[in-house]
Amino acid sequence: MTAASPTMSAQAVPPSAVAEHKPARFALARKTIMTPILLSLLLVAIAVLTYLTGSRPFNQTVIDVFVRVTLVVGLYIFIGNSGVLSFGHIAFTCLGGYAAAWLTINPIMKASALPGLPQFILDLRLPYWQSAVIAAIFAGVAALILGKVLMRLSGIAASIATFAVLAMINTIYANWDSVTGGTSSVVGIPIIRTIWPYLIGAIIAIFLAWAHAISRSGLALRAARDEPTAAAASGVDIPRERLVAFVVSGAVMGLGGALTAHSVGVVTPDTFYLGLTFITLSMLVVGGMGSLSGAVIGVVLLSALIQILRWMEAGISIAETTIALPKGVQEIALGVIMIVILALRPSGLLGNREVTLFQRKRNR
Amino acid sequence: MTLLSLTDVSVRYGRLTAVRGVSFSVAENEILFVTGPNGAGKSSLMRAIAGVTHCAAGKITLDGRDITAEKPENIARMGFSMVPEGREVFGSLTVEENLMVGTGMHGGAKRGRIADELASVYDTFPILKERRNGQAGLLSGGQQQMLVIGRALMTQPRLIAIDEPSLGLAPNITDQVYERLIALRAERGLTLLIVEQSSTRAVMVGGRMLLMRGGQIVLDGDARALGNSEAIQAAYFGYEDH
Repeated sequence: MTAASPTMSAQAVPPSAVAEHKPARFALARKTIMTPILLSLLLVAIAVLTYLTGSRPFNQTVIDVFVRVTLVVGLYIFIGNSGVLSFGHIAFTCLGGYAAAWLTINPIMKASALPGLPQFILDLRLPYWQSAVIAAIFAGVAALILGKVLMRLSGIAASIATFAVLAMINTIYANWDSVTGGTSSVVGIPIIRTIWPYLIGAIIAIFLAWAHAISRSGLALRAARDEPTAAAASGVDIPRERLVAFVVSGAVMGLGGALTAHSVGVVTPDTFYLGLTFITLSMLVVGGMGSLSGAVIGVVLLSALIQILRWMEAGISIAETTIALPKGVQEIALGVIMIVILALRPSGLLGNREVTLFQRKRNR
Repeated sequence: MTLLSLTDVSVRYGRLTAVRGVSFSVAENEILFVTGPNGAGKSSLMRAIAGVTHCAAGKITLDGRDITAEKPENIARMGFSMVPEGREVFGSLTVEENLMVGTGMHGGAKRGRIADELASVYDTFPILKERRNGQAGLLSGGQQQMLVIGRALMTQPRLIAIDEPSLGLAPNITDQVYERLIALRAERGLTLLIVEQSSTRAVMVGGRMLLMRGGQIVLDGDARALGNSEAIQAAYFGYEDH
């Protein structure tokens, strides 16, 4: 962006000289594109390594990591950009997970297990990737409807209201037996064991989050997070920008729900409740909820930690002696490590920074 | 021509009345200082005009349109840009991102127009161009003040209201900020509404000055004429109250 001539005021600049200016939005995109690329490359590297080792349990672990990356990035889109803590996003994961189940289970099983579903869904059997797209859209639409009401609130009131949404959805799904199977498991969802669809899902989530963050809406929302009054005085319609983020993040959470369903083949209302809410929020907070890199790296690091602790619980053999940690150490150690990280770096491991090749340039 | 007009505007916070029945109007391209001691209601008045704080009573019109109950973002879209007190930059965004925030509001604003506006702000404040990729929160006080004014300019306002532009700034930096503001007024036909605690600056710059005390306007007139009068000291220190 070179100014035409320092002596002239811009209003006097003829249109031909103005045309030289690069469109500002693309300039921003070019400046920040390395972040989603580097994060995706990190995930690709993990996937390729896993593929090369060929270990089944490790494969499943890495699938879980990718599903969580999708979920935590989904959380980041709303929480990170708006600064409003949401305890309710796993509700959209629940909607997505069940939608994927409805669309992919064998019609014969569906008719007996979930007789309350509408006929056209009972007859339907879609490939997993189509169901995942529909699940994401379904969750996004639900987020739009709920968000219309919720986004008028802010601060702790908004957080508690999102928590109420989680409880509501959970209650509906735990009791509407003919459609959701109630508290019992919905089985028969085709299990996808190869790692690639999950990798693609996580990468889609990362690029969606990046595109949203650099869009005018994302920019306006982050401005409102920093200084709500000044943002409103600059013409930012805060509830509207929050709603945009809520819908995008709801859709990504729905996609994550579909991926969850296909990774284990079973859904229950409890799969998508407090446990998952806690673990995904912790990963976001530890990584740093102000940045996309924080979201992804938080998942990868905490998942690695959980895995190491699991191995240590199972026992490590060194020269014929097996050292095993007592059961339960995993949860305790994880809690302690989280507290230590947050004590040392309250805004998370990455704070507000993003991973780029030109880290120092941005802060100069 | 009258651009902004207030009739009997009051602002209340619970039982506390910050502004009591204030009426005045601002003509296009005018420079109006609102001065007065701490707690006179200056900032509350600005916030009420910007729509950030509700008016308890009265009517505010901008360009003939009633904006009393309008939302702040809509008032901003109508050409009233407020720079709130305390230099509220969007700290985690870069300088350029800060400037871009206000441009989204004119619907499908053309890219060329935005680039144009950006170049013009960089022309006015060259330091911002130098640091455009730096985090706004890390700028110095004077630079942040320039950034918030630049950000207000990006919305192509007709009237800029600035709350305490000199707050916490070194006098020579304040001089720079004022120099720019006055140049902008001449260049673009901007109307300036400036809140300052002290009347010194208003007397230096000239223009019209309102003096507020206890939520009311106690003096209204030419800054230079008022500045040297005894009336202003009486109004500031409230001799007549005792």
